[in-house]
Amino acid sequence: MRWWCRETGSLFLRGAVLSGLLVSCSGENAPSSSLNQTESLAGVDADANGVRDDVDRYIDTTYADQTSADLNKAVRQYAKAVQSSLVDADSQTQSLTHATERFRALECLMARRPREFHTIFVDVRAQLLNTPSRSEAYLKADDQVKTANLPLLPADQWMTACQS
Amino acid sequence: MSVMTSRRFLVLSFSVLLGAGWLPDATAQVQPQSACQNATAPRTAIYFVNGVTTTLDEARLNGGKLELEFLSKLPTMAPAVQAMCHLFFLNINPTSGAVKDFLEAGQQRLGFTSTIFWQGLEGFGLATSGVIAPVLQRPISSADQIDQAMITRHATAYREQIAFPSCRRVLIVPHSQGNLYSNVSFDSVFTQALPPPLGTLKIVGVATPADRVGGKGLHRTSSTDVLINGIRLVLPATLDANTNWGISPLLFSPAYSGGHSFIGYLTAEPSRTQILADMESSLIALAAVNPC
Repeated sequence: MRWWCRETGSLFLRGAVLSGLLVSCSGENAPSSSLNQTESLAGVDADANGVRDDVDRYIDTTYADQTSADLNKAVRQYAKAVQSSLVDADSQTQSLTHATERFRALECLMARRPREFHTIFVDVRAQLLNTPSRSEAYLKADDQVKTANLPLLPADQWMTACQS
Repeated sequence: MSVMTSRRFLVLSFSVLLGAGWLPDATAQVQPQSACQNATAPRTAIYFVNGVTTTLDEARLNGGKLELEFLSKLPTMAPAVQAMCHLFFLNINPTSGAVKDFLEAGQQRLGFTSTIFWQGLEGFGLATSGVIAPVLQRPISSADQIDQAMITRHATAYREQIAFPSCRRVLIVPHSQGNLYSNVSFDSVFTQALPPPLGTLKIVGVATPADRVGGKGLHRTSSTDVLINGIRLVLPATLDANTNWGISPLLFSPAYSGGHSFIGYLTAEPSRTQILADMESSLIALAAVNPC
């Protein structure tokens, strides 16, 4: 029993260290930091598709293969809705509109990847909110709709939330 | 088998499990519930109430995960549960202020960048940092200590679902801090004038920092939930740990290593199966009561 506890404890510590390394390797100093990011809230969107260029590159790199084409679109739909939320976080009306857009995008993501949607979400949101000002704008947008009753689609209709 | 060999075997096994957990899954169209095609079938409203580490987007995903897992299990549930049409809702517990506090503390005290903070919001680092636990340790018996407007909003939603013309039974599945609010909301529903019939509202708590479940409902808290374990040290009356995540690789991933994530509870075994079984038995009890 003692041996098992020692081994399990050791393993847990290794896992925790590994987890830390995984976090460190995927943080702001990971490959994405070499991309041309700016510190402004909106960042650079040269192709005017509603998604910051560094996030566009992240999505295209992460979901590059043919089998991920549907996921590439779903993640970009969410990224676009978050970007709008950040830029319009001072407006309660716009925040409500964009929160609804985020819900539709997340329902699309759940329809596309019903088992792994959460890890995909965690990673792309971390890319989107990579500065304190963007993080604070995201939370401010949430605060604008804290008493709203946002409509949900039932699971059998989530696919209809996907934009073509 | 030598100690070194067995250690390598365990590490390799965990690596394989970690990889398996990250395998892409196929798109699967969820089919409509057959009972929902019948206008006369009884309806239930299943509410998810989020915890303090959960932003609006995560609340939507947590509610979606609950719906997906429930619907996947529904075909094997009791006939009384299958005969009802289950509708899913969110009762949002606004957390933007608290998460902003965690963000600032994470940056200042732990040296987290924004990216690392968002990747590890429910991870081991923040769960053990002492940043989050104090929010869940305030007195839970006094309603004036918590957001009364939110309690009223939630309780009103439950009452409207139960009352005519909706006539729906209500099951609440709160996570973490959502349990504190749900208990007070439950009390509010039944202490107002003209309360609904007893037994029309039930709670199945997940990862609860509370010392009770409203209406003597069921709860599941994992023995590897670092946050709740920390709270139980300070508040020994906190409900016991009665499930776990097995040897889930989730415990070794940055996003879930705190053992507190709702998604983790509904992914790992046996917690997932036990929560769904608690929902099933609560729904069987609800089916026996007529709300109108």
